[in-house]
Amino acid sequence: MKHRTATLLGAFALGAALLLPAAAVAAKSKIYLSMSFIGNDWQAEAANMVKAMAAAPDMKDKVDLEVQVAGPNAQRQIQQINAMVQAGAKAIIVFPISPTALNQVVHHACEAGVLVIAYDGEITEPCAYNVHIDQHEAGRVTAEWLVKKMGGKGNLVVITGVPGTSVDLQRTQSAKEVFSKYPDIHIIAEGVGMWSQAVARTELTKILATHPWSEINGLWMQVGCYTAASMENGAGIPDDKLVPCAGEGSNGHRIQMLPVGDKQVQGARDTYRPMGESSISYASPPYSGALALKLAVEKLAGKSIPKFTKLPLPVVTNETVKLCQQGTWKEMQEGCNVFQPSIISNPGWFASIYSPETPEVGLHAALNGAPEKTAAK
Amino acid sequence: MSDMALQAATPTRLRLSVERYRGLLTAILVFLALFGIVNLVSPRPYSFFDFSYMSTGGCTLALAAIGGTLVILTGGFDLSVGAVISLVNVALASHMQAGVGSEFGWALAGLGIGAAGGAFNGVFVAVLRMQPIVVTLATMFIVQGVTLLVMPQPGGQIPPDFASFLTGSAIPDVLPAAIVILAIALLAWTALAHSRFGTSIYAVGSDKDAAAAAGIKVVPAEFGAYVLAGMMYGAAGVFVSAQTGSGDPLGGDPLLLQVFAAIVIGGTVFGGGRGGCLGSVFGSYSLLLIINILLILNVSAYYSTVVEGAILVLAALGVSLDRHSPVAQWLRRVSHRTQHSGGGGSSGPTRPLVFLAQPMAPTIRLPWWRRHAEDLRYALPAYACFVLVLVGTFFLFGGLSGGYVNSLLLLGSFLAILCLGQGAVILTGGLDLSLPWTIGLCGILLAGVVRGHPFEAAWAVPMVLAIGALIGLLNGLGIVLFALPPIVMTLAMNGILQGVAMVYSNGTPSGFAPPELLWLMTAHVEGITPELFLLAPFVIVAALLLSKTPFGRRVYAIGNSVRAARLSGVDVGRTTVLVYVLSGFCSAIVGVLLDGFSGQASLGMGDSYLLPSIAVVVVGGTLITGGRGSYFGMIGGVLLLTALQTLLAGTTLPDAMRQIIYGLVVLCAVVVLRERKGV
Repeated sequence: MKHRTATLLGAFALGAALLLPAAAVAAKSKIYLSMSFIGNDWQAEAANMVKAMAAAPDMKDKVDLEVQVAGPNAQRQIQQINAMVQAGAKAIIVFPISPTALNQVVHHACEAGVLVIAYDGEITEPCAYNVHIDQHEAGRVTAEWLVKKMGGKGNLVVITGVPGTSVDLQRTQSAKEVFSKYPDIHIIAEGVGMWSQAVARTELTKILATHPWSEINGLWMQVGCYTAASMENGAGIPDDKLVPCAGEGSNGHRIQMLPVGDKQVQGARDTYRPMGESSISYASPPYSGALALKLAVEKLAGKSIPKFTKLPLPVVTNETVKLCQQGTWKEMQEGCNVFQPSIISNPGWFASIYSPETPEVGLHAALNGAPEKTAAK
Repeated sequence: MSDMALQAATPTRLRLSVERYRGLLTAILVFLALFGIVNLVSPRPYSFFDFSYMSTGGCTLALAAIGGTLVILTGGFDLSVGAVISLVNVALASHMQAGVGSEFGWALAGLGIGAAGGAFNGVFVAVLRMQPIVVTLATMFIVQGVTLLVMPQPGGQIPPDFASFLTGSAIPDVLPAAIVILAIALLAWTALAHSRFGTSIYAVGSDKDAAAAAGIKVVPAEFGAYVLAGMMYGAAGVFVSAQTGSGDPLGGDPLLLQVFAAIVIGGTVFGGGRGGCLGSVFGSYSLLLIINILLILNVSAYYSTVVEGAILVLAALGVSLDRHSPVAQWLRRVSHRTQHSGGGGSSGPTRPLVFLAQPMAPTIRLPWWRRHAEDLRYALPAYACFVLVLVGTFFLFGGLSGGYVNSLLLLGSFLAILCLGQGAVILTGGLDLSLPWTIGLCGILLAGVVRGHPFEAAWAVPMVLAIGALIGLLNGLGIVLFALPPIVMTLAMNGILQGVAMVYSNGTPSGFAPPELLWLMTAHVEGITPELFLLAPFVIVAALLLSKTPFGRRVYAIGNSVRAARLSGVDVGRTTVLVYVLSGFCSAIVGVLLDGFSGQASLGMGDSYLLPSIAVVVVGGTLITGGRGSYFGMIGGVLLLTALQTLLAGTTLPDAMRQIIYGLVVLCAVVVLRERKGV
């Protein structure tokens, strides 16, 4: 074991020595981003933030970023990562379509000396680096909040994510562990929400056919609180009688959490307005890709980074929800966490874009892929 | 004299064998062309590493495509491919231990699991003579459920030595193991194809009745094809386990459409009797090469589905287009028509057809139920099961509220509209796979141009509906003029529309539904959603359209026999085109309504409607090969499936169990619909 470590260290030193002259000549490292399907807001925001990070004043001389999209197909991502290794990547940032299917190709990439960092999802191959939140914690924290709001009793409706994924299972299992401690809490129906507001509406419509709103005392959903509040509004339930909901970190949901009649909100419409909905909002934050890129650059410069960077779980409740005026990183650092509907017209847009680790990216980055103007220190 | 005869014979024989292997030759040419392009655009020369990586990367798809080809050669259709692959994958990942015994045993077990899945399909399709598409759809749901029970999330591990044995090299730097595996499979196929069993597969696929009449045992041939196909899916599952080193319960799902594409590019004809497995292997690798070319050129992912769709059409054209092609005939006819009827002849030739397609004046008028006894018999099972589900719901939830009925009809309305289009297409013997992105594109366009402003719907909704009809028109023209198989044309169209929707929305659809639509789909007037007031007239018009109009009668005539329809004066081409226009139009309506229902459009909003649209049509008693079925029956299918989903959603059953129940109910509903033996 010791011998092996020594060999590894030696190999590393040799590798570093070989790399040094190259680094001196061409300072830019070729870094690839392998994304999954672009077809949703989260992916688009994450990609924008990675691009913005690569264009930040501190980074743009160090990084030569190329973005590729694999679609929803793990087989294709395997091909893609292999092609990236062949093309001479120094590091590959991956949104993994499957936590396990990529293991072989990632293993080969590592052996070829390529740094592989996964963001949001996980790659279980030991040589890969991972950047994501603790999904168990997400399930537990939101469930505990909901139990408290329900006073430890009542009927609960659960809307899960995509069955067969680790993220869904970990969140749902941890939440159910919490619920099972309270014998007076009854899960009366469970729908598969596929992490989509549109699917959540279909599922809720089915559930409401047999369980009317009057029977439901709490909602635990991975995505769908915004839709639930909109449906309650449509069913004539007044704002102050909305069912407590633990759910997603979309801008629409957080706007609904603001107190009714909040005068500062501009551009509100229909149910995309302050409703004082009693709620907790959590998210897998879309800045994780940008942070992964930053870590990759640090690692390539010789710094050591942890194998698993656990992101703090972004949690917003009615007590902490606060409107941003401009959405600069500075403003978010001071505690705002939801954006004006006049700027973010799409209520499904993900609002958890702040990290103390990434002053290079703010709202402008998530929307347009441009870095913060004041980021350079 | 004898010299001359020889000279004449040689080119004829050559032409004959070219004709026979035309599909395969096209597949090889497509592959070689793509291979050339890859090497042209690739910065590095082709090395053994590339060879090895490519052969390993495409092996899973190729093995699955070989299996799929067997089923399609018999004239069948198998939707359970991806699900079976996933099941074998998770079974191996959760059970295989290091050590030769366990590895060999579980690899064999993988083939066995696949074969068992195939045998399940085979029993219902070959022995009980049920429709393959709905049997394999039910199998797909059941197997997906079982897969989630075996392994609810990605994980497990395949011993590394097993993985490297299958994905490494058989002879280092010369021969990748994947090539050996495929060679074995293809050799087995060649032996099979020349055996009595192989002949009977082709014979059954060409003409089942003729094969039976010629003394070929139809049941064993079909059953055997499904079992062997399942075994090949099992092999694909074993290989993908080795390739990924672990299990993923969703891993096989994306392979379903790729398998069909590979088979089409490989020159096997949907409907059976023509093609072979070698072509499908080339087709699989062609698909892989397309991906590689797109990666090397870094083409935006927005366009990748468009490119794949275009290749699909080109490959199918290579098989179907020749001097007898309908385009040539059509051009001839058009010039003929313009010469003789002065250009305005479009309505001329159709008029007598109407009379011809009408039934001869019946001398005795039977009572209503006697005249429709056939329709009723086939529609009955869906309604009977629907009533059972209602009774179950009643006892489980202590009553059925007005809210329940409203939700049921509202959720069912999307399928009720879709099944008019899909049903009409199926009645002519076709299939419309472009539904998902016709819905998606229309919904995205509508929300994008209206942006939630009131009154804009007045022009935007008709525009979107016209676009839907136009999409259908393109489908129909491709199918009629270029003789493209409906599955190929509409599958390619779906990919192209997906690309268009991606480019238009730049990956994130924006805007909102018009407020009028929002009201229509989400408001409550006396507890009733306003849309339902429009649904009733739609259902009546749709039922009349298919049963009482000349158009409807032509649809049935084509489905029963294109030849007979043509001889009795039906303009087959025009009616076929119209059927696809109708389907595109119905999809557009659903896109519009879904916008109103959700308030916004989203990518993939139509994805979850394709398989149900086919399922309700078939469950409602329609024959997938066309000619038999009624809109009344399809509505029964809609009610059954919607009520079943609503019942399951109201419970806390795990998703895996729900999928199994859903599959079983679909299967039970169609068991009674099976064809009678010896028709």
